[in-house]
Amino acid sequence: MDAILNALSCLMALGTSMFLWRKPLNVYKEAGILALFLVVFALFSYFTMDASDLAQEYMPFRMLAVCLCFSTTSLTSHKSRYLVFAQVLWLWVEFFGGLTFVYRGLDMPWTRVIAIGSGALGGVFLSHISREMEFMLMVYWIAIWMFF
Amino acid sequence: MYRFLVYIGAALLLLGATAFGVSLWDGPSAWHTDGRTFWGIPISLFVLWIGLAHAGTLISAIFLALGYPLGRRTSMIAELSTLCSLAVAVLFPLVHLGVIENFYMVVPFLDARGNFSNIRSPLVWDFCCIAVYGMVSALFFVSHLFCEKNPSLKSLIRPMAWLLFPLVLWVHTIVSLDFAVTFVPEWRGAFFPLYFIAGAIYSGLALVIILLTAEHCRVRVLEKLMLSLSWFMAAFWLWEFMLKGTFSFEVVFLGAVVPQLMWLRFIRENTFGRLLVAFSILISLGLERYILVTPSEYDVANAFGWVDLGLVSFSVGLFVLLFFVLRAKLGSLLEGDDVVMGEIVVQEDDTAKTDVPGRNDFTPLRFPLLLGALFTLLYVIWAVSCDNGMVFPLSVENVVPLCLPIFVLVACFTLCAGPLWKITGKRTKIVCIVLAGFLGILAGAFWSGGSSEAPSGAVSVQELTSSKTIEGIWMSRCASCHGNDGMFNEKFVREYYPLPQKLSLERLDSLGADSLVHVILDGRVNMNPYRGRITEDEARGLVRYMRRLAGEEQ
Repeated sequence: MDAILNALSCLMALGTSMFLWRKPLNVYKEAGILALFLVVFALFSYFTMDASDLAQEYMPFRMLAVCLCFSTTSLTSHKSRYLVFAQVLWLWVEFFGGLTFVYRGLDMPWTRVIAIGSGALGGVFLSHISREMEFMLMVYWIAIWMFF
Repeated sequence: MYRFLVYIGAALLLLGATAFGVSLWDGPSAWHTDGRTFWGIPISLFVLWIGLAHAGTLISAIFLALGYPLGRRTSMIAELSTLCSLAVAVLFPLVHLGVIENFYMVVPFLDARGNFSNIRSPLVWDFCCIAVYGMVSALFFVSHLFCEKNPSLKSLIRPMAWLLFPLVLWVHTIVSLDFAVTFVPEWRGAFFPLYFIAGAIYSGLALVIILLTAEHCRVRVLEKLMLSLSWFMAAFWLWEFMLKGTFSFEVVFLGAVVPQLMWLRFIRENTFGRLLVAFSILISLGLERYILVTPSEYDVANAFGWVDLGLVSFSVGLFVLLFFVLRAKLGSLLEGDDVVMGEIVVQEDDTAKTDVPGRNDFTPLRFPLLLGALFTLLYVIWAVSCDNGMVFPLSVENVVPLCLPIFVLVACFTLCAGPLWKITGKRTKIVCIVLAGFLGILAGAFWSGGSSEAPSGAVSVQELTSSKTIEGIWMSRCASCHGNDGMFNEKFVREYYPLPQKLSLERLDSLGADSLVHVILDGRVNMNPYRGRITEDEARGLVRYMRRLAGEEQ
């Protein structure tokens, strides 16, 4: 995937995250939106990525995970907890996805895994998340997505 | 009601017992195996039941950890279903092995037992993770069961739920890696960890809803979650189709279309309607696992023999029997208490929001977590330092999968040891000490029983049957289809047969020597059996010869 499409995928995740956790909260609404996003990300990955690119296999789930990370910044309560959860989900997708690629001869993306892991670990110690901190976190996630 | 269900369970168990016996006696030739993966119904049942085993505790632990505890009965039933499903699940890898008496060889003592277990294989991680999960789940269930009468145990429940929450997800992720790291094209999927977890929770919710129906109660929040998960499963199946072109109408219809009937009030509010949807989901996911495990079988109905059906019946019967016998025993044990499971109440919504876990909830976890981290660190140092001279050298990627189970095991036992010791009777304490000592001795004996180096005087199969003889056998019996070089005789094969597999090193590695010997001796779809015409040693020699050819090619 080239840099433009990679940036576009990140932008899509950022854009779709705005539709999550809008009040009134409802199990069906949130689950439906997330499932729909997954389908949209799947279609995006299918049509923009080369089938020979192994990263295509888990691209929709990476996009969903980073979308969830972005969406936590709009939460009004338990922001810190769900921020950690979303990053752990992203870490999970990256680490175990990377592990399956190791068995197919690719290298584990350790830099990305460590960067996400550090973010998740740091999130545990955040008691208050200001608007500036939210912005910094989003920049951090975009940087991980784009450069690692 | 319970007696009736116990009779049903016993009947199904007896129906399947013959198939189970035949499977143990005959080994893998008893059931239908896939032509390429050599896996069959035992592994499908293992994946299905292990998924169900993870879901019960996960449902209970997630709700509890996040401060939305389910009703006690619902949690206990979910946790009991976990233990019973786990007991059923662990039987099937043993059946699948074909050499049930040698199952202990899976235990990863690194190279202390020679080259028996490959620590780089997810199958070995599976064994460790499931063993840890079984112990921790049992501890969680026992603590939860007795916490009403012993307040000291009550404070352990939520910290244990926090430990179990990641462990359950981790263990099922490892189960998914059994498939995802192999060379079978249909199993390639970096998304399998999430796919398997979603499938496990989905099927687990269906099972818990069925079990709650037997209690004449319902929990609406679980029904809502089940319906929501059906959309995610549909998205996963869509992605699977887009990626690999694999699609099963039955799976999608039963697993994603039928659950939408829950939108209809008369289905949702009717016991049989809810049961119909829940059973439909279980059948769909059972079928999905079978199709996943045996990707070459397009006609599942024809692939199923009486042994395959018998094993399904055996597993369902064993679960029903185990669950309802335990359910009845535990119910009578606590009769008259408010804490009994199975009080017949129809509940509108079984969840009640409690206060959110504060930092104080994690105070009892500090020391156990520290000790868990220390043991994990020791394990990593030990595993990495063992690297030199090992049969299977380890990398960090191979060491990490066992870190969390070790961490949780140590933390959980440290957390529970004190309170459980206090409430345990004298006789039980003595039994525990004797048991621990016995296990220690067993582990020590096992450890010292093998050498870390291959014996220098070992005679290879190739030496037993000279390479010249093996080459002759290959040329006379195999080369006509597979070619002199193992890359098939293209002209002959294209004219007369479906194409056989190219015997590349990756393919040979993915199948394993024993499976290949099995194919050579007993044949498979288009491959003739050679038992009686060549000996087993010659078959092993042929496998070695194939590897040599594959190596030369590369």
